[in-house]
Amino acid sequence: MSAFLECGPFTAADGEGRILLDGVTLSTDDGQFVSIEGPSGGGKSTLLRHVTALAYAPNAARQLDGESYKGAELPEWRSRVNLVAQDAPMIAGTVRENLEFPFCQRAGREKPFDDVRAAALMTQVGLERLPFDREVRTLSGGERHRLALIRGLLWNPSVIVADEPLAGLDPEIASVCLDLLLQFGRRPGRLLVCVLHDPEMSAHADRRLRLANGHLKGVA
Amino acid sequence: MSDFIELGPLQLVLATVLIVAAGVVSMALQLGVERRLGIAALRTVIQLGLLGLVLEQIFALRNPVLVVGLLLLMTAFAAREAVSRASRHYRGILVDAWLTMAATCLVVGGMVTQVVVGVDPWYEPQYVIPLLGMILGNSLTGISLCLDRFMDHLVVRSAEVELRIAFGATRREALAAPLRDAVRTGMIPIVNSMAAAGIVSLPGMMTGQILAGSPPLQAVAYQIVVMFMIAAAVALGAMLVVVLAGRHFMGVDATLRLDRLTTGHS
Repeated sequence: MSAFLECGPFTAADGEGRILLDGVTLSTDDGQFVSIEGPSGGGKSTLLRHVTALAYAPNAARQLDGESYKGAELPEWRSRVNLVAQDAPMIAGTVRENLEFPFCQRAGREKPFDDVRAAALMTQVGLERLPFDREVRTLSGGERHRLALIRGLLWNPSVIVADEPLAGLDPEIASVCLDLLLQFGRRPGRLLVCVLHDPEMSAHADRRLRLANGHLKGVA
Repeated sequence: MSDFIELGPLQLVLATVLIVAAGVVSMALQLGVERRLGIAALRTVIQLGLLGLVLEQIFALRNPVLVVGLLLLMTAFAAREAVSRASRHYRGILVDAWLTMAATCLVVGGMVTQVVVGVDPWYEPQYVIPLLGMILGNSLTGISLCLDRFMDHLVVRSAEVELRIAFGATRREALAAPLRDAVRTGMIPIVNSMAAAGIVSLPGMMTGQILAGSPPLQAVAYQIVVMFMIAAAVALGAMLVVVLAGRHFMGVDATLRLDRLTTGHS
């Protein structure tokens, strides 16, 4: 039987021609939290961009839950294997627009936007005082970070791929966010893949991987 | 129609006094532009002189092949100029600009010359060439502004574009915002000049017709047709060129390909 998520091989180099990914494949079962560690500048973010199909990789194969995705099916792949990027990008507009826009795109046609859950999540991560009509450009870095995380959770994809989702958060909030992510990932038919810097956080992972010198290996 | 004062060589020489005066000012104030002014003046004389000679021939011969040939040449030059003004490029930008120019000329130019003005025969150079020339001249500005803004948006706001893609946006959804932004930018000059027409500026074509002895209301009627024609051409051209350009930066897989940008020429 094949794994829940299978993708690759990915090959990539940085601007100076140094190999970041040397035919890397990612293959993992559902219901778990997989962490990816490795030296900074070693290609971890690049790997996540490949896994979530944001980087151009015409020779890679992608399979989720027994289904293959390629070409015109990649938008659907991305909606199921969703990236929470490190720099917490936002569209110009309000908090609400940023949480809601995915549900206004074709991929979200059949998913309803859950106002109540959005408000509940905001409270859990300490954003309860943030009004929905606030412009996102006025948010602090930490607030944007948490908002991006909530957006990913609300979207409720099959796989959340998060790049340093806990970086820069104070320890209390970070542990709440980690709990939310674990609740998401440790269900059947779901998966959480995170790049983490902090070994203490990685210790929670069900499976630890390390990316170095272009290769992805298990951490004993 | 023919009650206008004809200009001969003597009048042109007298007009040269004006450009010499401008040169004298430049020298007196040590602006250092007299050389460039001279070259520009010389280019004006040579380019317009050649155009005049070519137009005289084409008007006299009234040959549809020659008219269409000249129009094709004009679209090629306009496309080249539009591309050279853009600060970013990609492989195939020239082809896209040319296709856009040709298509807008065919659609809007065809509509104006054949349906609105009702030129007879269809290729009557006296109408077809200046009207299409105006479409090209204005589309050129619109298309280059539009292309520039489109590529700029993709680069500067790539995080926003990719955010939509990360949530499963299709190509159409991912490019909607850059496309809107680019078309709006491309249309600014023509919208501004339509709003100022007659109050701030007397449009060049109308001025020309009045000097040539047309009744002012006739000149106004032509000017309105021309303004509408240009607005339609710029709007169509801007939309078409970003749709064509969009294909280079995003396939049906909706992956943003900024690696396709080049800084040099296409």
